[in-house]
Amino acid sequence: MAAPAQGLAARSLLSHHRFRWVEAIPWVIAIAVFFAFPGYRLLATQILVLILFAISLDLIVGYAGIVSLGHTAYFGTGAYTAALLASNGWTEPLSGLVLALVLGALFGLVTGWVVLRTHGLTLLMLTMAATIMLYELAKDLDFITGGFDGINFENDPILGVLPFDVVWYSSNYWYALFFLFAFFCLARFIVHSPFGRALIGIRENVERMHAIGSPVKRRKLTIYVISAGIAGVAGAIWVQIQGNITPAVYEFELAADVLIMIILGGTGRLYGAFLGVVAFKILENVTETVLGTDEPYWMLAIGLALVFTVLFAPRGLLGIFEDIIKTVNRRAR
Amino acid sequence: MLDTLTTILVFGVAYAMLLFIISVGLSITMGLMGFVNLAHGAFAMAGGYVTQRMVVSLGVPFVVALAIAFVVVAAISVVLERSLYRWLYKRPELDQVLLTIGIVFASVAIVSFIWGPDPLLIAVPEFLKGGIDLGFKRIPAYSAFMIAAGAIIVVSLFYGLERTRTGARIRAAVDNQRMAESCGINTSRLFTLTFALGSGMAAIGGGLGIQILGGIKPVFAFEYLVVVLIVVAVGGLGNIRGTFVAALLLGIIDFAGKYFLPEGGAFFIYAVAIAVLLWRPQGLLGRA
Amino acid sequence: MSDIVLQTRGLYKTFGALVVARDIDFSLARGARHALIGPNGAGKTTFINLISGALPATRGDVFLGGDNVTRLAEALRVKRGLARTFQINRLFAGLSVLENLYLAVSEHMGAANGMLRPAGARPDVVAKAERLLETLKLKDDAGKTVAELPYGRQRLVEIAIALALEPKVLLLDEPAAGVPSGESHILLDAIDALPRDIAILIIEHDMDVVFRFADTITVLANGAVLANGKPEEIVHNAEVRAVYLGEGNHG
Repeated sequence: MAAPAQGLAARSLLSHHRFRWVEAIPWVIAIAVFFAFPGYRLLATQILVLILFAISLDLIVGYAGIVSLGHTAYFGTGAYTAALLASNGWTEPLSGLVLALVLGALFGLVTGWVVLRTHGLTLLMLTMAATIMLYELAKDLDFITGGFDGINFENDPILGVLPFDVVWYSSNYWYALFFLFAFFCLARFIVHSPFGRALIGIRENVERMHAIGSPVKRRKLTIYVISAGIAGVAGAIWVQIQGNITPAVYEFELAADVLIMIILGGTGRLYGAFLGVVAFKILENVTETVLGTDEPYWMLAIGLALVFTVLFAPRGLLGIFEDIIKTVNRRAR
Repeated sequence: MLDTLTTILVFGVAYAMLLFIISVGLSITMGLMGFVNLAHGAFAMAGGYVTQRMVVSLGVPFVVALAIAFVVVAAISVVLERSLYRWLYKRPELDQVLLTIGIVFASVAIVSFIWGPDPLLIAVPEFLKGGIDLGFKRIPAYSAFMIAAGAIIVVSLFYGLERTRTGARIRAAVDNQRMAESCGINTSRLFTLTFALGSGMAAIGGGLGIQILGGIKPVFAFEYLVVVLIVVAVGGLGNIRGTFVAALLLGIIDFAGKYFLPEGGAFFIYAVAIAVLLWRPQGLLGRA
Repeated sequence: MSDIVLQTRGLYKTFGALVVARDIDFSLARGARHALIGPNGAGKTTFINLISGALPATRGDVFLGGDNVTRLAEALRVKRGLARTFQINRLFAGLSVLENLYLAVSEHMGAANGMLRPAGARPDVVAKAERLLETLKLKDDAGKTVAELPYGRQRLVEIAIALALEPKVLLLDEPAAGVPSGESHILLDAIDALPRDIAILIIEHDMDVVFRFADTITVLANGAVLANGKPEEIVHNAEVRAVYLGEGNHG
């Protein structure tokens, strides 16, 4: 008997993946920003790349419940792959990206197989120590990496036509936006698939998942490898658009910042990454440009925002928006 | 050869003592209540600032300043625990991590506002200047002081835990909180007490560290945090012995690494930490 | 003689110096309705955990349909037709009832390996989940979050998830535990209605339920099998009565 699913809940589950018109908003905004704020293109491009990185982190933190403080390990690996390729003669950028993806994913496979045997605090510490170690190694092995000062390099124009532009940042912006869109779509497919739902199950109650025959370890490793690959791409784009790389791509602070970004935005829903990165970076820069002072204000704001989020808004900014919309809808009825 | 060995041992152990003093409080509270308090690094930083201001601005003797730092930070920690932390005991680890990191951010910002981001220095008291002659080598008096302080604290902690009734209660609660509660032990008050003690010790460590680390600055809250977390994870939670062993291991290796490879020695402790955590995820002396 | 679908031989488990399972020999035939009873701390849930693979055995073997599964992980035993419920609910509390079942059906049908096509492209999985809800009269609760349901209905979801795996052997760990007496009849009716070809082992304390349901009973005490047989025999077994009368002395 194959009677079609009828109930409301079933229809919701079956159509969950359909595109809603609101989803076009962030992309429209991204396109508009290019034209509306020409003076801020560097910041905007950075935000785009960080969103890609944040999405890769959300795939493991928000969906599978793997909390890592060392995802910069893959970001940095992708970055160095692209940079070393270009500085050693292979200046075609797209193949640099592909290689960064592959190496990031491979590195994710090797380390993930080991790291995923742990959980909780141990996992946190392991990932943190790993990325700090990579940072130190990148600083030390200066004959390869150029050490603390890093390397400058230059890529050929994209597709032979659009040159990377470290001054006016136009093709840079579209380059970043294109790949953000592409990998966002990939991530979206994954999270709405049965595999994606299984990840949520693993996050919610891993014992139950074992008891329903789910190959938990294999699933976690799969998403970890995918996430590492995407992080590698983000790293590669990050350095390609700047024409420069330093060990800072492995910095633990960056890993912590991106974790904070997705928490503030809201984990487990890809759009949270958009909100979180934008909010964080704007806060960080507003103090400089608008208030004209340095660090402490934005740190205070982030610190208070974190405390507030944990205590009162565990689903982050996205959660707050959703609640507002729900209240508005209820009033409108 | 002997000279190098002694140098490494003396400075390495002194640094290890500093790590131990700061970390032991975190290890106990994490083992006792399972609460991940990343603000522990901020407590150490705060202790450093209190000590420095007492000594430099108010002319208070160094050791007295340390004691004041202990009390002040312990008090602050109790306020934090009662007002904020208690809401999160049942929440997942990630939430605790984020809340306490938020507190670190805020505290670094506040301290930067008040005293600026640059390191503040301290003048070491007279009796700690100079060196001690061991016959074949002269070692700095401060290092000897650190080693002595560490040793005293370890012994006191052991005595306190193994020989006193409060210590027995703490051990019981670490072992099995529910059981301890049903035996009539007020674990909530016990935790506040232990938490205050641990935070106070972190403060003392922060004060002691000023001389070794070349000043105190706000960002130490983060830098201490990374090292302390690694020490605690490597040693095993809730475990004084474990923290001590891990502090010795990591302190000596870190110093030796930087001594032999000034350009690249920093990564050794991370390599060692990773190796230990992969071999024994629960820490060297932690419970499986 | 009908097929033996589940068997343990000399199953032995220690935690340090504490022995929680002593050389347990046990077998379950196809379609069996078998109850496992015993005083608190006798090791009943431990036994279930050893069979399901949640706990590795110190010694001894577990056989599923003739194959030795002692070294297999829990998830692999599930794939071979074993399913269990937990004494305290292990559900996905934040997800809807339908989503809970969806996850189990998805794993069982192998759909969960699919990454690139949306969940919506597998209406068969959703349909199956919905049918399961109907069988257990949970259809109206499909969209509700599990946490919103009364405890009795949550226990039903617990059973539904196990059934979604189309098991040959079903282990029910105190299915009515914690359910207010007003709601327990729904649960018991559901258990009565379970397909006859599934072998069921049920841990229970309530003797009424045991007598209503079980064809055979095993009594466990101190981690060892004390007695085995039909309900009437067990009731008149002197050792069993001694163990229950002296229940206050056992941990």
